[in-house]
Amino acid sequence: MVHLSSFLLKTYHGGHIVIRLAMAGHKQSNRPFYRIVAAYNKRARDSKYIEQLGSYDPLPNINNEKLVSFNSDRIKYWMGCGAHPTKPVAKLLGLAGFFPLHPMTVTEAERCRALAEGAAPEEVDKQQEL
Amino acid sequence: MFQVITRSTPVIRLLAPRGAVLVEAVRGRKTRNDPKAKSKEGRIKTPPPVDPVEMVVLRERFTEYDLIMRALRLEFKEEMLRKRYEEEVGSLAEERAKQEAEEHRSLMTWNQEENLRMLKIRELRVQKEVEAAEVKKTEAAILREQTMEIFVKEKGEEIMQIQEEAKSFINMENLDQRIEEALDNPKNYNFAIDKDGRVVKRTVLQ
Repeated sequence: MVHLSSFLLKTYHGGHIVIRLAMAGHKQSNRPFYRIVAAYNKRARDSKYIEQLGSYDPLPNINNEKLVSFNSDRIKYWMGCGAHPTKPVAKLLGLAGFFPLHPMTVTEAERCRALAEGAAPEEVDKQQEL
Repeated sequence: MFQVITRSTPVIRLLAPRGAVLVEAVRGRKTRNDPKAKSKEGRIKTPPPVDPVEMVVLRERFTEYDLIMRALRLEFKEEMLRKRYEEEVGSLAEERAKQEAEEHRSLMTWNQEENLRMLKIRELRVQKEVEAAEVKKTEAAILREQTMEIFVKEKGEEIMQIQEEAKSFINMENLDQRIEEALDNPKNYNFAIDKDGRVVKRTVLQ
């Protein structure tokens, strides 16, 4: 029995192509893992994509690193074809050096630094008081 | 009032207090007609505060970022188009096309040669077959003639035999004589035979 729904969903696409993170099928565990993927905009996050362009592991490994991989040739191809990266993908690729650094990374870093500097003088004052 | 019939009603849900909203965990648990929770009644949602200095800086950064991204996109597009163009029309493509054409030509010539060779072989084979068929035909003819000869000979012999036998036939002239002879010589066809095969011809005389 041929499934007709797949035939119906195949060719129509009013949306555009995006490069985004899709959760990679480990549904039962508390262990997220993302694939950097080129997919149509209207598709569900985890459903059929056009091509996988890399991966991102959000949990740090033994050496306290978060591993990211991406296929630069194919990303260039898709960007040339008019794909839009999402914010997290843009941030990751900015940190990697493939794109320019995303402004929000810089601003978040500045905010963190401001908070840390705000906290540190308070501690210094408290210690001085004590 | 707020009870919504679910697809499957587990026992725990049925024991829940009245007036509670019984819906499965779906986005937008409450509709706009459901009352707000007591802890949230006076809440006014405000967006996070914006630092104007930071906002200015951010805006600048974003314009720069957008500019760079647009430029990058155009670069990538150009690269992709160039690659595609090279694939189809570039020097490598021409060489490949040439090589393929040469291969095709050589293969065609080889095919021609093969055809000629096979033709020759076929000619020889067909000739041999024809000769063999002719030989077979002649042999068959000879055989037929021979069989005819033998047949004719046999039939001739039979005729001779019958002619010889015809001499001892009973005609109108021999009739009386023969009758006399038959009456004079009574033949006794009676005999006795044993299980061991011993024949006894001597029987009671007439």
